[in-house]
Amino acid sequence: MNSIGKPFRLKHKSVIPGFGITMGFSLLYLSLLVLIPISMVFLNSSSMGLKTFWEAVSTERVLASLQVSFTTSFLAASVNVFFGVLFAWVLERYSFPGRRIIDGLIDLPFALPTAVAGISLTTLYAENGWIGRLFAPLGIKISYTPLGITLALIFISFPFVVRTVQPVLQSIDLEAEEAAACLGATRFQTFYKIIVPTLLPAIITGFALAFARALGEYGSVVFISGNMPMQTEITPLLIRTKLEQYDYAGGTAIAAVMLVISFLMLLFINLTQWWASSRDKA
Amino acid sequence: MSIEISNVTKTFDSFQALKDINLTINTGELVALLGPSGSGKTTLLRIIAGLETPDQGNIIFDGEDNTEKSAQDRKVGFVFQHYALFKHMTVFENIAFGLKVRPSKHRPSKEAIQQKVQELLSLVKMEELAKRYPAQLSGGQRQRIALARALAVEPRVLLLDEPFGALDAKVRKDLRRWLRKLHDEYPITSVFVTHDQEEALDVADRIVILNQGKIEQIGTPEEVYDNPVNPFVYHFLGNFNLFHGRVHNGKVELGSLKLDVPEHAGTKNKEIVSFFRPHDIDISLEAGGRDDIEAEILFIRAVGPIVNLELKRLENGDYIEAEISKEVYRKLDLKEKQKVYVKPRDFKVFIPEDYVI
Repeated sequence: MNSIGKPFRLKHKSVIPGFGITMGFSLLYLSLLVLIPISMVFLNSSSMGLKTFWEAVSTERVLASLQVSFTTSFLAASVNVFFGVLFAWVLERYSFPGRRIIDGLIDLPFALPTAVAGISLTTLYAENGWIGRLFAPLGIKISYTPLGITLALIFISFPFVVRTVQPVLQSIDLEAEEAAACLGATRFQTFYKIIVPTLLPAIITGFALAFARALGEYGSVVFISGNMPMQTEITPLLIRTKLEQYDYAGGTAIAAVMLVISFLMLLFINLTQWWASSRDKA
Repeated sequence: MSIEISNVTKTFDSFQALKDINLTINTGELVALLGPSGSGKTTLLRIIAGLETPDQGNIIFDGEDNTEKSAQDRKVGFVFQHYALFKHMTVFENIAFGLKVRPSKHRPSKEAIQQKVQELLSLVKMEELAKRYPAQLSGGQRQRIALARALAVEPRVLLLDEPFGALDAKVRKDLRRWLRKLHDEYPITSVFVTHDQEEALDVADRIVILNQGKIEQIGTPEEVYDNPVNPFVYHFLGNFNLFHGRVHNGKVELGSLKLDVPEHAGTKNKEIVSFFRPHDIDISLEAGGRDDIEAEILFIRAVGPIVNLELKRLENGDYIEAEISKEVYRKLDLKEKQKVYVKPRDFKVFIPEDYVI
C-alpha cells in the first residue's frame, strides 16, 4: 500500500539488527563484481553507434559462431537433462556400494580445470585416440567437429541437472506415488504424471544453468573444436580473437549480444521458479 | 466385499511387525485397527492394500486370493495420513486421476468424468473448490479431497491410514462423524487405522486391538470396552486404576479391601492385578462397610460436567483417579486434603503371569 512512501523496509520486523550494513555491503559487492563490469560491455559497445554495432554482430562469421555455440550448447544441455535425471534417480532411489563415491565424482567437472578436460577429451576422441579410433572406421569424426564441442560441453555442464534435480527427488512424497498406484496408475503413468511434473521446475532450472554454462565455456572447447572459422568456432573464442586483433569494439559488441541472451535465460529461470512456487506454496 | 487375512507374518530386518495375523472383515463393515505405535497396524493396512508384501500368509478378497496382486490391480481406495495429494494438480484433477489413468477401453468419457467428479465434490461438500491447488486448502479439506479421490474409482474396499491423525481436535471430531455418516449411506467395506481409542470407539462397527504385531482382541466397541480380555486392552481403552493383590478361593485381597470374584473361584493364592475405571468409583464421606478404601483427596479439577479427582490411598499410598458427576461433587462438597471413602463399583481381575505390561 505505502510502498511508494516507504520503498525500503524489512519484510518482517526482525530482532536481528544490521539491515543497513548488510544490505549496503551486498549492493557494493554486487556492483563491483557484476554490475559495473557488465555495464562496461554495454558502455563500450554503445560508443560505436547502432549501425557499426549491427555490422559488427551480423557478419557471417559471427552468425556462424553463434549458431555453433547455441546448437552445441542446446544439445549438450538436452543430453544432460536426460542423463542428469537418470543419475539423480539412480543416486536417490537405489542404494548400492560406491553410491557416495559416484555422488562425489559428479562434481568433478566443476573442480577440474576445463583446459585439462579439453586436452584429455581431445586426445581420447581424436582419430587416433582410444575412443576416436573406434569411430573413425564408421566415418565419424569427433574431435575437431561440432560433435566434439558438444561432448566437451556435456562434460563441463553435467553436474547442473543432477544437482538441481537431486534434492527435489529426495524430498518427493513417496506416498503420492503409492496413492497413484492404488488409484490404478501403471508405473509408467506414475512416472510421467506424478514424478516428472514434480521434477519439471528443477529440470528446467538445471537445463537453463547447464545451457548458460555451456554457452560461456571456453577453456575446454578451444582444444577439441579445432577453431575453424565458420565451422567449429564458438562465440567466446571469436570474442577473444577480436580482442587479440585490437578490435575492442567488435569484441564487446558480440559480448553484448551474448549478455542479452544470458540475461533472457536468467529471466526464464526465474519465471519458471516463480511459476512452480506459486503452484506449490500458494 | 469381505476381506480375509490369513496367517499373515511380516518382518522388517530384525523387527517382527506382524506375527501370524488372522482376521476376517465382513462386507460393508467399518473396522478400526487400534494399537500403539509400532503395533503393526499400519503395516497390516498396507499389506491389505498391496503396498507391502507379507512374508507369509494370504490376503483374500471375497474368496479370491489377492496376495500376489499389485496395489494397482487390487481396486482398493487408500487414504493416507498426510493426504498424499498430487500437488501439481487441481482438486478436480486429483479426483479425476484414477479415472483418467484407466486403459482407454475402460476409461469413461470426458463428460462422465466431469459428472463423477462433480458428484464426489458435492459429497465432500467442496464444489466451489474444484480449481484450487492442494496447497490452498486446509488440512480438513485436503483429507476430504483425498477421500473423494479414493472413492472416485469405486473401490471394493476403503482403507484409511490414521486419516484424521494430522488434524486438530475439532476438525477431527467433525470429520469422523462425517465418515460414519458416509459409511452409513454408502456401506463400502472399510478399514481404518488409529491410535486414538476414542476415535475407534466412536466410529467403528468392530475394533481390532493390536499390540506388538499380534491381535489382542476383536469385538464391538461395547464388547472390548466392557470386557477387555487382558490388561493391555484394559489399559489401552481408557483411564484406569491399578491395584496389586492376591486372589484365593474366589476372594480378592487388595490390602485391607476384600472383594468377591466368582470367576476366579478355583484359583488358590495367586498374585493378581486388579483394574477399575475412574468413572466406576463411588465416593462417600463416611465409612459404609469393610469394602471401603480410606483415601485423601490430593487434587480436584472441576471443569465441565465431569469432576476429576486425584486421591491417595491412605493404607499404602496407591494413587487413585476418580471421575464423578458435578452433582455428586456439589452434594458431597469435596475439598482438597479431605479424607473420603472410596469403593470400586466394577473391576476386573487379571492373573499377571499370562500377561506382562
